Amino acid sequence: MTGNIAILGYGLSAIGPGIGVGLIFAAYINGVARQPEARGMLQPIAFLGMAITEALAIFGIALAFVFKG
Amino acid sequence: MQAVTVTAEGGEGGFWATAAPIIPHPLEFFFGLACFAILYYIVAKMVVPRLEQIYAERTAAIEGGMNKAVEAQAQAQAALEQYQAQLVDARAEASRIREDAKAQGAQIIAEMREQAAAEAARITETAHKQIEAERQQAVVSLRNDVGRISTDLASRIVGESLHEETRQKGIVERFLAELESGDVVREKVGTPTSSEGDA
Amino acid sequence: MSIVATVAPADYTPPGIEEFWQPLFGTDGPLAITRPMLLMALSVILVAWWLLATTRKKAVLPGRGQMGTEAIYGIVRNGIAKDLIGSREFMRFVPLLFTLFVVILTNNFFGVIPPMSFPTMSRIGFPIALSLIVWVVFHVVGMKKHGFIGYWKSLVPSGLPKAMVPFIFFLELITDLFTRPVTLALRLFGNMFAGHILIVLFITGGWYMLTSGGVLVIAGGVTWIFAFVMTLFELLVEFLQAYVFTLLAALYIAGAVADEH
Repeated sequence: MTGNIAILGYGLSAIGPGIGVGLIFAAYINGVARQPEARGMLQPIAFLGMAITEALAIFGIALAFVFKG
Repeated sequence: MQAVTVTAEGGEGGFWATAAPIIPHPLEFFFGLACFAILYYIVAKMVVPRLEQIYAERTAAIEGGMNKAVEAQAQAQAALEQYQAQLVDARAEASRIREDAKAQGAQIIAEMREQAAAEAARITETAHKQIEAERQQAVVSLRNDVGRISTDLASRIVGESLHEETRQKGIVERFLAELESGDVVREKVGTPTSSEGDA
Repeated sequence: MSIVATVAPADYTPPGIEEFWQPLFGTDGPLAITRPMLLMALSVILVAWWLLATTRKKAVLPGRGQMGTEAIYGIVRNGIAKDLIGSREFMRFVPLLFTLFVVILTNNFFGVIPPMSFPTMSRIGFPIALSLIVWVVFHVVGMKKHGFIGYWKSLVPSGLPKAMVPFIFFLELITDLFTRPVTLALRLFGNMFAGHILIVLFITGGWYMLTSGGVLVIAGGVTWIFAFVMTLFELLVEFLQAYVFTLLAALYIAGAVADEH
């Protein structure tokens, strides 16, 4: 079995953001389901939260490539 | 590890073939910027103004259409009111005509009734007159007959003709007049007893 | 196993990063003309032609082409720009956001449309160029609005305890200067890169198994069905990434021009 430990690291770094993004959108769906008229207000917040949370996973893939060589 | 890959590739790709994919290729980067700038220029100068113009025109058209619709509604309302006013007028007219007709009818009936009553009265009067005339005629002829018959009878009883005398003296007329007036005076040609006349 | 091994052709090598290096005309090195560059140029030509052709008539009652253009424009103008930036200032940024959206969408769809079959945005140079533009734009409009000092001050929310201010300022500075543009570029790049490599893996792997014979032929067929399913999934991801990129660009601009940060 061949491969690179950096890719494994990326896999690990994706766990947290995965859960985080899931939680954000779960809350967003909940909010919209309870109060459909709040959709316009919740959507930017949800996407901004997703962008911030996802940043960790994105750094992960960047660093995986950086430390691969 | 990189060295192994490079030798496996036969050195053809060089650094860029195996470089980490997060290292930007310089020409691609600048080419991307240039392409974006060109498209941005086209979109900002031509496409977006056109689309905004379409939006504005559509909004204007929709608003114009709505104004037109409001106008049409007002017109329809006016027409409806006019129609209803006409309907009210027509109803009033119809009821007036009906009233007139009723009044006229009543008048006609009254006139007819009056006429009929007058006619009836006239007919009755005529009949009365005729009956009166006939009665008069009957009375005259009866009087003549009665006078003649009684004279005849008296002549037979007396034995001679009394006609001349009777006529001369007008006895019969007088008698009949007396009979009508109710006080019968005994004549010398009549029956002797006066009690019979009282009875 | 031995049958498969004897029938099997040369050993299967999964697709790697070499897949994304496609220089043309024998050029090489940092100034090589690559196929993604041609795709980018093609996308600009196609998009420009389409947009100009469909809006030429400026019909109040749109035809099919104009209706499509207006639908996409409506998503960007009303769904993203107007909702996030606010109806007072959004018109300034509509051309930028609309261009971003159509360029990214077209180049992403190139990833699954056969003659091109390569998502341009899986070459990181292009997403970096786009996010650099967004980064410059939202900083410049923010500084124009609040002034140079005022802009940096507006990064820290008001009503914070004094002790917290430097810490929060540092965090916001990193977010604004570094995290936002880098994640914006890398999100798009990562999705396109991974999606393309996944599809290539399914197709070449399926082909390898189909040509191997034996039981592997069935597995190869199943793999190709999955390749088709993954292609459909990629279509969704490609649209979503174009949307998210534009949405986040609008959000960053909205944050910069907002009265209260």
